[in-house]
Amino acid sequence: MADLGAVTVEPAATPAPRLRRARLGRALAPYGLLLPAAAVIGGVLGYPLYLMVKLSFERYGLFQLIQHKGQWIGLGNYRQLVHDHEFWTVLLRTLLFTGVTVGLTMALGTLIALLMTRVSAAMRLLLTLALVLAWAMPVPVAANIWYWMVDYEFGVANWLLTTLHVGNYQHHDWFVNPWQGWGVITTLIVWGAIPFVAITLYAGLSQVPQELLQAAAIDGARPWRVFKDITLPILKPIFVILTSLSIIWDFQVFTQVWLLRDERPTSDYFLTGIYAFEQTFSQSEYGYGSAVAISMVLILLGVTFFYIRQMIRIGEV
Amino acid sequence: MRVRIVAAAAFVVVLAAVVATSGLASSKDQSITVWLQVDAQNGWPDVVKAANDAFQQQHPGVKVDVQYQTWGEHLTKLDASLAGGDAPDVVELGNTETVKYMANGALADLTSAKASFPNSKTWLQGLAESGQYNGKTYAVPYYAGARAAIYNIDLYKQAGVSTRAPKSLAQFLANGKKLMKKFGGNPNFSALYLPGRDWYVGLSFVYDYGGQIAKQVNGKWQGTLEAPQAQAGLTELKTVARALSRANPTGDEAHPQEALVFAKGTVGTFVGNGWEWPYALDPKVGNPALAGHVGAFPMPSHTPGKVMPTFLGGSDLAVPVTTKNKQLAIDWIKAFTSTSEETKIALAGNIPNTTSLVKINAGKPTLGPFAKAAEASWFVPAAKNWANVENANVLQSMLSKIISGHASVASATKAADAQITQILNAS
Repeated sequence: MADLGAVTVEPAATPAPRLRRARLGRALAPYGLLLPAAAVIGGVLGYPLYLMVKLSFERYGLFQLIQHKGQWIGLGNYRQLVHDHEFWTVLLRTLLFTGVTVGLTMALGTLIALLMTRVSAAMRLLLTLALVLAWAMPVPVAANIWYWMVDYEFGVANWLLTTLHVGNYQHHDWFVNPWQGWGVITTLIVWGAIPFVAITLYAGLSQVPQELLQAAAIDGARPWRVFKDITLPILKPIFVILTSLSIIWDFQVFTQVWLLRDERPTSDYFLTGIYAFEQTFSQSEYGYGSAVAISMVLILLGVTFFYIRQMIRIGEV
Repeated sequence: MRVRIVAAAAFVVVLAAVVATSGLASSKDQSITVWLQVDAQNGWPDVVKAANDAFQQQHPGVKVDVQYQTWGEHLTKLDASLAGGDAPDVVELGNTETVKYMANGALADLTSAKASFPNSKTWLQGLAESGQYNGKTYAVPYYAGARAAIYNIDLYKQAGVSTRAPKSLAQFLANGKKLMKKFGGNPNFSALYLPGRDWYVGLSFVYDYGGQIAKQVNGKWQGTLEAPQAQAGLTELKTVARALSRANPTGDEAHPQEALVFAKGTVGTFVGNGWEWPYALDPKVGNPALAGHVGAFPMPSHTPGKVMPTFLGGSDLAVPVTTKNKQLAIDWIKAFTSTSEETKIALAGNIPNTTSLVKINAGKPTLGPFAKAAEASWFVPAAKNWANVENANVLQSMLSKIISGHASVASATKAADAQITQILNAS
């Protein structure tokens, strides 16, 4: 009884501090667990980002690089940016490029996903395999394959188009005309981006209740109507997430253009990312290049906002 | 891309943080790092080895780490290593690249040691000037190069073209047309292999017609490619390239290496450096069977009897200010540019750094044409920011637009002038 008494009495004697400590511990534990990850992210992403913001307010050229000391000029770089005609051209081109690639990726990805719901299991497996292989291909490898396919002298594209009598494509240079060059780059990007969209949407499509689709079909709805009024609303969250992710990826395309253009792109082939890199490392304008990069980060933050808002909404459901 | 920029920034930061510690460590260990361009690796690797041996006899136990760089990216790497404080002890810089680094205080002052460098009294003047800034010496002349037309004797003979040097550009064009008539059925044949972005050759046409890239007016730089003389040269370039060349209009002289395309036997002529001739015959990468079937002549001017000005390319050797081994670096440069090594560099097809050796090549049939071509030469504007014009591909872009016919000479030169003016006047 003594034992029992002790047990029952003790909590009563010091109830508040213990409970509070336990509660406090429980409340702090998640933050403690988050700490290592937060420290790593802060170290490898936060600190460089802070330095880049600082650089963007400084005059920092080769001279300052060697002295290891920048010269504070406040908003000078940003003022220059606003009046930089080339920057606006490049930004407009980047927005256009992003719009076209994201549009094509989403449209073709959706079509392939719909196709996957219709074909036999064996075909579906084959299709998935092909998609995963394309998805798994490292970007530099893919870019090099494209590079050789559209090569001026040995490219299979020129050979095929000539053999098929589409025209005389012998010694056709795909990058003389920037529209054609961007066509090649767009195909490469869209090809690389479709698998993720198609596979994710296929997973989403398999969650659409069959009864709804069947009921609609019985009511005489045509396939487009079924897609527009049933599938699309149900999959809207997935579409929003995929679109915002695609925008984020395509807006910062760098490697593909860089490699296809022999690592020395001319100004016709500048995207915002390449422009920032050129200003920074070719022109040794580290401060100005950072300002260009920061402006990119700000634009992408806007897109990320939509993405995160949608993620939170899904979490609430 | 954001990741890439951030990563690049992080890279610079980490390097900067490491400076203090690595600086202390490297002053103890006895080794020097030398950055040379790949030309030495391809053209005169024996010179590098001999210089290392001579240097190590003088400094036993000191290691020499020679790292070969490519022209396209060596400046980006140099900047990053300067920021990080682990820059090489000796660096090769193109003679168009030195001004930017001298003006920004990246190179150690070698003025007091100048007299001790081999042949410093007879350094090739044009090259020595590219290593001087505000009256001080920051870089040692290494070698110069002039381009000449290198041609396939067999193909010329089969097409019934005289193998004597053409008297004028018009005759050169007529000869080329004969070659195209005879061999043009092969879609890969070029009478003159001229990639669109080869600005060393392309701009020679501008200077031949009396034009220039830029000039300084009242302290401000101005792009001058819109001037009638420059436009006339570029128009002629377009005519020649379109009639005789099937090289890639957006390709350059190094992708693929012109000499190796020539080695395949489907090229009548290409305009290259002296070292590219033996490179084309190299058994490892070229075609040794061509030996004895190759000739060279200076590119003819549009003015009959004259020679087209050639770009006076060249390289200097400098010591970055970050080095802890300045004296060792100087001693290595001395070993590398000694009279005996410069003689070997000259025999490899280059113009040596001293006038006392220039005559070596004059009498040789393989090297004489290059020496003769160098008699008339042009050089880039002596502007602090010139390297940035090169890095921005302004001239390359203009030339490939003109040659491909994507833009008219007038509009392409206008765009290039605007860019050149802006870059050269940037503070």
